[in-house]
Amino acid sequence: MEERKRTARSGAAFLLLAVLLLVLLWLNLLAGSAGLRAEEVLHALIHRKESGMAAGIVWNIRLPRLFAAALLGGALSVSGFLLQTFFGNPIAGPFVLGISSGAKLAVAFTMIACLGRGIAVSSVSMVVAAFGGAMLSMSFILLASRKLKSMALLVVCGVMIGYICSALTEIAVTFADDSNIVNLHNWSMGSFSGIGWGNLGVSALVTVPAVAGSFLLSKPMSAWQLGESHAQTVGVNLSRFRTALILLSSILAASVTAFAGPISFVGVAVPHLMKSLLKTAKPILLIPACFLGGAVFCLFCDLTARMLFAPTELSISTVTAVFGAPVVIHMLMNRRR
Amino acid sequence: MGESAILRTEQLTVGYEKRPVVSRVTLELKPGEMLGLIGPNGAGKTTVLRTILRQLPPLEGKILLKGIPLPDYRERDLARCCAAVMTVRADPELMRCEDVVAAGRYPYTGRLGILSERDRRIIESTVRTVGIEEIRYADFDSISDGQRQRVLLARALCQEPELLVLDEPTSFLDIRHKLEFMELLRQLLREKRIAVIMSLHELELARKYSDRILCIREGRADRQGTPDEIFTGTYIDSLFDMAPGSWRSVWHTQSLAGRCERKRCLPGNLE
Repeated sequence: MEERKRTARSGAAFLLLAVLLLVLLWLNLLAGSAGLRAEEVLHALIHRKESGMAAGIVWNIRLPRLFAAALLGGALSVSGFLLQTFFGNPIAGPFVLGISSGAKLAVAFTMIACLGRGIAVSSVSMVVAAFGGAMLSMSFILLASRKLKSMALLVVCGVMIGYICSALTEIAVTFADDSNIVNLHNWSMGSFSGIGWGNLGVSALVTVPAVAGSFLLSKPMSAWQLGESHAQTVGVNLSRFRTALILLSSILAASVTAFAGPISFVGVAVPHLMKSLLKTAKPILLIPACFLGGAVFCLFCDLTARMLFAPTELSISTVTAVFGAPVVIHMLMNRRR
Repeated sequence: MGESAILRTEQLTVGYEKRPVVSRVTLELKPGEMLGLIGPNGAGKTTVLRTILRQLPPLEGKILLKGIPLPDYRERDLARCCAAVMTVRADPELMRCEDVVAAGRYPYTGRLGILSERDRRIIESTVRTVGIEEIRYADFDSISDGQRQRVLLARALCQEPELLVLDEPTSFLDIRHKLEFMELLRQLLREKRIAVIMSLHELELARKYSDRILCIREGRADRQGTPDEIFTGTYIDSLFDMAPGSWRSVWHTQSLAGRCERKRCLPGNLE
């Protein structure tokens, strides 16, 4: 009985997420400054080869952008869930712990260094740079977590690392060539705009295996949720598990930052929403749920960012903060412990 | 001798990073036996237990589990042989007691940890053995300390261990739950032939329920023997650095003494 109720609940939750995802995909396809009608969009979708304006907008701008929002949003939430589980800290996430900012710093420096010499930056090298930056922040956080037993202090430490990285990025941007600044500035605020099929392909190549890898870690993660000592006594190879989890969460956060810049609150808010929706913290359910939920959340936020003050576009972080921060505050107020 | 030992240590020295805490412990534990570890706070009881669980590398000496050196075990095989309830407080999010119990099936489930029919049967029977049917769907955060220990014990039993390592399992329980917990352990020992090694602060419980007692003091295994051999004269007083007669005076005024005499406890040597 109990078991059936639970299965029904998760089934309903996943169905809801899938429906929301489809609805938002469609809405994101429809909405935009070009003001295309539904029939035009549909026509353009089916007849890709036609060289009309509608086909160009749909295929070259809107589709890659909405897939990017969905994919990267999902990756960011999964990364947040991994970090929360790992640190046993409900407000941990790639942005809060300064991992996204570390990736941002490394990408900014790479971009300035390459563009200054007239070398185009490939998407692969962006990802590699972002990963390097993410790992740098991550190692600081890991060092700090050995000394700081309190969750709150660890988060404060992460926020400080984030500020330092952002400050350094600002300095770099200030002294960059004029021609770079516009690009860099837009990106460092966070945005899904300007992501083409090429970037999307590279980010999918990185995030899809990383999300799949995270899913395969769900068994040791569930043991880890009962504490390190428990995980060890039931047979988790701790060093292998730690390494895998740190690498995966950093790769996910890095690939998002490389293409969309730092995006706040998704990594904390979405896993919390999913836990409340499914009423469980089981990784085997939550990792897929976080991926879907993150996709839905980011599609919704990107839609808002584009449409709210159209034709002016907001940065994605502005919108995710507006919707994500209240969720985080609500969660903190309702904590029993 | 009959049955061969489940756990044997030879000249085992345990500690942290070259700093020995307890030196040269030699002990042997057979199926169905309970070994109690007693000694002052900070003597190193937990360090000994953690080394036996392979959470800490031994500084010297050997640990043999069913005759096989501990380092030779793969994680999964070790977890199938040896389970533990330690004092580290677990406070998982959104987990029901039954989920916590099911976590003990870890070494038996496949890549994704999905429970088989057999796993469910074992969880079911363990829940009944330990007597936590009423709270199986309750949130693990919401139950009392006494119930928590039972749930954690059930989780350990789901590993179908031959050796159970318990670190102060009764410390936070009231007297009724202490006794119930120990009775449950004895029953498991009898029925499943599990060997138990545990640290205890309650000397009365160690005396009543252990088959043998190992006393740890000032960095060494000070004495080892049956409860009767350990609880003689003023040995307990010297183990805990108290004035001779201190322990006996407390023992006489404790209500537990009366309860104990009822059962297989003290063969009339209270005086």
